[in-house]
Amino acid sequence: MKKILALVLTLSMIFALAICGTGTASAADDQTVLTMWCIATESDANRPAYEKAIAAFEEAHPDIKIEWEAFENESYKTKIKAAMNAGTDLPDIFFTWSGAFLGDFVDAGRVYCVNDAYKPFADQLPEVMLSNSTYGGDHYAIPLTYNIVTLFANMDLLGEVGWDHVPETYEDLTACCDALVEKGIVPFGCAGKETWCVTEYLEPIIQKTIGYEALNDIFSGNGTWNDPAIATAVDTLQEMISKGYFDPNGMALGNDEVKANFIAGKTAFYQNGSWNCGEVNDGVANAAVGLFPVMDAEKATYGQVIGGPSDSLAVTASSPNAELAAQAAFELGKEICHYGYLAGSGLPAWTPDYDTSEVKPLVADVANIVAASDGMTLFGDTAMSADPANTYLDYVALVYGSEINGTDFVEGLTNDLG
Amino acid sequence: MKNTGKGARIAIYIGLIFWALINLFPVYWMFTFSLKNNAEIFGENVIGLPQHWLWSNYTSALKTGHMAKYFLNSAIVATATILITLGVALMATFALTRMIWKQRKNLNKFFMLGLTIPIHASIVPVYVTLSRLHLLNTYWALIIPYSAFSLSMAILVCTGFMNEIPRELDESACIDGCSTWGIFLRIIVPLMKPAVATVGIYTFLQCWNELMFANIFISKTALKTLPVGVQALSGQYTTEWGPIGAALVLATFPTLLLYVFLSKKIQDSFVAGAVKG
Amino acid sequence: MHKQYSNKWQILVFLLPALILFCGILIAPIGASLYYSFFDWNGIGAKTFIGLSNYKELFHSNAIGFMKALRNSLLLAALSVFLQLPLALAFALTLGKRIKGERFFLSVFFMPVLISTVVIGQLWLKIYNPDYGILNVFLRSIGLDNLAQIWLGNKKTALGAVFVPTLWQYVGYHMLLLYAGVKSVPYELREAAMLDGASDAQINRYIVLPYIKPIIRISVIFAVTGSLKSFDLIYVLTNGGPLHSTEVPSTLMISMLFLRNRFGMGSTIAVLLILLCFGFALLINAIFKEEN
Repeated sequence: MKKILALVLTLSMIFALAICGTGTASAADDQTVLTMWCIATESDANRPAYEKAIAAFEEAHPDIKIEWEAFENESYKTKIKAAMNAGTDLPDIFFTWSGAFLGDFVDAGRVYCVNDAYKPFADQLPEVMLSNSTYGGDHYAIPLTYNIVTLFANMDLLGEVGWDHVPETYEDLTACCDALVEKGIVPFGCAGKETWCVTEYLEPIIQKTIGYEALNDIFSGNGTWNDPAIATAVDTLQEMISKGYFDPNGMALGNDEVKANFIAGKTAFYQNGSWNCGEVNDGVANAAVGLFPVMDAEKATYGQVIGGPSDSLAVTASSPNAELAAQAAFELGKEICHYGYLAGSGLPAWTPDYDTSEVKPLVADVANIVAASDGMTLFGDTAMSADPANTYLDYVALVYGSEINGTDFVEGLTNDLG
Repeated sequence: MKNTGKGARIAIYIGLIFWALINLFPVYWMFTFSLKNNAEIFGENVIGLPQHWLWSNYTSALKTGHMAKYFLNSAIVATATILITLGVALMATFALTRMIWKQRKNLNKFFMLGLTIPIHASIVPVYVTLSRLHLLNTYWALIIPYSAFSLSMAILVCTGFMNEIPRELDESACIDGCSTWGIFLRIIVPLMKPAVATVGIYTFLQCWNELMFANIFISKTALKTLPVGVQALSGQYTTEWGPIGAALVLATFPTLLLYVFLSKKIQDSFVAGAVKG
Repeated sequence: MHKQYSNKWQILVFLLPALILFCGILIAPIGASLYYSFFDWNGIGAKTFIGLSNYKELFHSNAIGFMKALRNSLLLAALSVFLQLPLALAFALTLGKRIKGERFFLSVFFMPVLISTVVIGQLWLKIYNPDYGILNVFLRSIGLDNLAQIWLGNKKTALGAVFVPTLWQYVGYHMLLLYAGVKSVPYELREAAMLDGASDAQINRYIVLPYIKPIIRISVIFAVTGSLKSFDLIYVLTNGGPLHSTEVPSTLMISMLFLRNRFGMGSTIAVLLILLCFGFALLINAIFKEEN
């Protein structure tokens, strides 16, 4: 009994001390404090870019202090939605994905319109980069970097089966994969635990089968899923799975684990966002990038890509310093883009006005692909609003789990989403 | 054990030892892989003691993972929750068991509803309430809901203990001119000391594990609790098992150590709650 | 005395903190959830009143899969009552007889209860890892390669794989509850039975079990409502996947609220979950009363 009482007393003293010690730190009296939430946690590839951008900003504006918190990706989504729902205790600046994710917040009047703040930056940030965060003609967010789905290849492994370039036609790709399987090398890894990773494979195949405009229409709700060509595309992916092109353990793994397998040379290809360029560039000795090949040459071309500007900063309407926060968000966004681009975690939405000779070769290759691109479709789960997006993801997961075939996929989505 | 045959006795011990191994082995494995590098964990030496004791895993968990701070936060939240739950429950139990009024049986039943309500079902309304009171991002954002959800169990346990205190004590104190508060504070509360430990343990079990509230109500790194910290850290080190193992050990061993020293006390108090409740 | 203890104001003062805490954090949110459950609402925009449509959709839509989630949690509750509790009871009866090592076994069996659920989840994630997890490594080392599984990634094994740690963690909890009961059986009762020549099994059956019935009832209620509420471990291990095969009402509710932005539907699940837990508690009480 005495031991427990002593323990309780000690702990309560610690408690009292800690309560005393939780006064918020260090903003000088004459400083304006801007709070910011983002997802650049300490292990995130983007962390250094945020740190550098914030340090540079605070140096340029000694009267402003940025207090920022970083959250793990999935819990951040929960958190920002709960906070937006309550409408209080929101930060001044927050990280967001454009498209429907931000759209819900904009509809509810929780986001500050940045039209005016954009004007001084218009010559450095092309207006087309704002298109995914423009609602009813008004701009609501500042894009950072943008990304496309990229096919990464380990050229050393491809070399073992006699390939010296990334296959650019479907025949070549299957020939290459067959040779790899023959040699006991797993061609692809894909994280089944995170369905968005499966869309990184499925969406390019659908796009290369029906064309980027048709897919755009479907994602934006102007088209229908009811297209037998989509069923064919789904069957293509499942055929690749049944031929053993995919690591079966991937079903139970997360994306980081699958990526680690690719970097460790366990799989020959990895198709995922171009934000991985930096890591792949530094981790794989002989890496190359490409796109998924064309399936139907009448409707699609090799240069069509999935992706676009999505990672953005936005300002809350409830911020007491919204105007200042918007200006700060533009300046921060520009610098985060700058350092992120140099680190290889994405392509620049802002026109570079700095020395780009040190951009990593793989990033430069992807930038060239985008420069030559014939058309772009935004990621499906970004373009669609939360409820239909998750219905779509459910069907994608069923496809990867070989629970349904292409026809079921088309029928199901036509029934549920139109 | 007198009238158990030798064969049966051996069978019983085999069963007990088997289950003990099932309980101990994961903890042993966690401890050893927290000190290994991936090469050892992934093949060279899966279940043996580490060949090279890799203490740097602990440095990573403490530095990048802030495990010490999260542990302290969890301890603060748990202690405050226990104290508040105890105070509130003692007062309520006093009114429910000793004072005289018509609806007290019904009110007791009303409080017992809380035993079945899932904590996650109230997440959004509680968030709104806390944010209106400007309590988000303080320890109170967790202490208040945890106390509320521990209250039913605490009242249940306290009722059992308080019913055992003879009513003659109240009578004689009353005759000596003691006020109701006086009786409560000077007679009842000191006699309720055994309930302190019991309520403490049940409340601790309730709030030490909680993940969802802690994740949503606290956004400052400085205030995060252990479950959130462990979850975040394993999101960061998905492919490097050593530091995760170190974080798991850091999150577990202080409690286990305390348990080793106090296990009899803890079990007795837990048991007291079961019998009295 | 009577007068002093009947003072209405004093009674209120003593009850007030508990009432505020209890009603503010537990009861009022139920009311709020009930109210939201009649609306189509994305959590931040305007609400549209839709009556009972959420309830109808929940029970009829295959896409949401509420019935499957419910079935999973009822299965867990059944396993908990018919597997976890008997095991706990067996340990309690054995250890309650003053055998050698009683304290040691008691301490070791109760230990998992004290480990944070997130830690247990993370640990079992490693145990189940298809490439390096201890389970598959063990199976391969004894030549049972074909039994090695992608435990948490396979629709067929995931549910079982999630249930094992869930049930394992709380065996000790129930064991200690029941052990308390076994220990409280007066020694004279046991002794008298032994003098009459009763065997161990007979003593357990006719003396101990009837005596500890109230505690068994509490244990059953905790096991069933605990299973219906289970969330943390499943959230860490699979979050309802793969392909919704390990979904339970709580995980479904969280994904409705924060993944699909369907606050009305999420609240509907919350309401049903509360009703369910409450209903089962009443049912179990009734069953135990019936038996008396």
